[in-house]
Amino acid sequence: MNLKKEIKLVFLLFSVFLLSACSLPGLGGTGDQEGIKIAGLATTEGQIMSFIVEGMIEHYLDVDTQVINNLGSSSVNERALLNGDADVSGVKYTGTSLTGELNQEPITDPELALEKVIEGFDKQFNQKWFPSYGFANSYAFMVTQETAEKYHLEKISDLEPYADQLNAGADTSWLKREGDGYAAFLDLYNFDFKRVYPMQIGLVYDALAAGEMDIVLGYSTDGRIASYDLVVLEDDLNLFPPYDASPVATKEILEKYPDLEGVLLKLQGQIDDEQMQNLNYQADNNLLEPQVVAQDFLKEHNFFEDVQTSEGGE
Amino acid sequence: MEITDMSLFNQLIYYFSENGQYVLNQFFRHFLMSIYGVLFAAIIGIPLGFWISRHGKLANWVLGIANVLQTIPSLAMLSILMLGLGLGANTVVATIFLYSLLPILKNTYAGVRSVDENLLDSGKGMGMTRSQVTRMVELPLALSVIMGGIRNALVVGIGIAAIGTFIGAGGLGDIITRGVNATDGGAIILAGAIPTALMAVISDIILGWIEKKLDPTRSTRFSGRKE
Repeated sequence: MNLKKEIKLVFLLFSVFLLSACSLPGLGGTGDQEGIKIAGLATTEGQIMSFIVEGMIEHYLDVDTQVINNLGSSSVNERALLNGDADVSGVKYTGTSLTGELNQEPITDPELALEKVIEGFDKQFNQKWFPSYGFANSYAFMVTQETAEKYHLEKISDLEPYADQLNAGADTSWLKREGDGYAAFLDLYNFDFKRVYPMQIGLVYDALAAGEMDIVLGYSTDGRIASYDLVVLEDDLNLFPPYDASPVATKEILEKYPDLEGVLLKLQGQIDDEQMQNLNYQADNNLLEPQVVAQDFLKEHNFFEDVQTSEGGE
Repeated sequence: MEITDMSLFNQLIYYFSENGQYVLNQFFRHFLMSIYGVLFAAIIGIPLGFWISRHGKLANWVLGIANVLQTIPSLAMLSILMLGLGLGANTVVATIFLYSLLPILKNTYAGVRSVDENLLDSGKGMGMTRSQVTRMVELPLALSVIMGGIRNALVVGIGIAAIGTFIGAGGLGDIITRGVNATDGGAIILAGAIPTALMAVISDIILGWIEKKLDPTRSTRFSGRKE
């Protein structure tokens, strides 16, 4: 009798392990080998892009997709790809990955930086870095429409004659940063503002719109640029390294689903800075979930069905 | 801009009207993760509880191990399991499973031990086999106490599923973290937190009701008074 009980127990234990090894209904388990898993980021932009990639794959390929969301940083995101927890990364930025995952010196020339990450990800991680979506989320100086008209500002160099009358707000970490920080800015552009106030990056847009600052340093795709109608000044001397955004996929998944490459290439150059600002604006300001924003965007553009992609892309 | 000018309550209503389907999906996902974890813990924990109640010495060991598991902070447990199981919902289910073991084991053990010796004897005296005693005497009498353990485990599990967002498992925790990251995320935080709290409270009430229904002492007392 006792033996029977023990056999039963062992059987139960065994069946539970068996169960936990396969995917549970309704959860689209991450342990199984089928389907495509997309690694997202914790930022609004990262989430929107992941869901756009998911929406595209679901539209064109008959496979299960799942977004693994809220991965804290680009390096964690990369870990997920290397460990096999995910197959596609929704968005990666040249500048971030060059100094982060690849551990190389920052490069300010966008073309060269893109070349470096394509080569680095191919050789080091056996992953394909796709052509850019068309937007770059870099540091950028911005002013209100009014200020831009008053001083005829288009690029950072235009500021030189008036800079000593302007109060600037910038990210606390930028002020101390090497390479593309405040010191580098003074060196390269050779002028200084009346005063530079250290601020939290999330507050600079509001401070600018409220007139508390004359010029601020923010992120070029933030949704508030669109909502406050701010003017982004061109970085004409290439102080800031480029942060061009691209999807990245492992070579294994591209071999397994040969059509995947074409699907991701359809997005090449489709989303410019302004479009991304707009998408971020919908999520950050209009309380829409990134998934909803992504779905609406894809429907609006008919999933880019008309876009012809050149085969290969490399 | 007009949306940021709305009151928090109106923003919340607006959020639900625009993202209703998404919230519903995450709610369902959240609930499933919690249920699966508790279900597996019940499948293992209840038989194990019966077994240790017959082997007094082992009971201390098994309950001790389950106790130690319980002391590990949930975020640490998630991260440790993530090393082995990877990212995603399965790891969260495994974490909830480990946390649910103790309440279910403990309650099963206590429930079985509290069954009156005389009842077991009379069962034996009626010619019941050991498994019949277990099924027809011990189990029904211990069931409400076991249910109490499952109820505890589920409420804890719903809470743990909320932090599953940090390992990419999805669920209502996703909405809460997004609200925390957003500049004016008050409404989004509430949109994630209120359904989570409701889920915990409602499951607690429902399981509490089942627990009462299963309590044999209540029904016998009732019929006893009637006669």
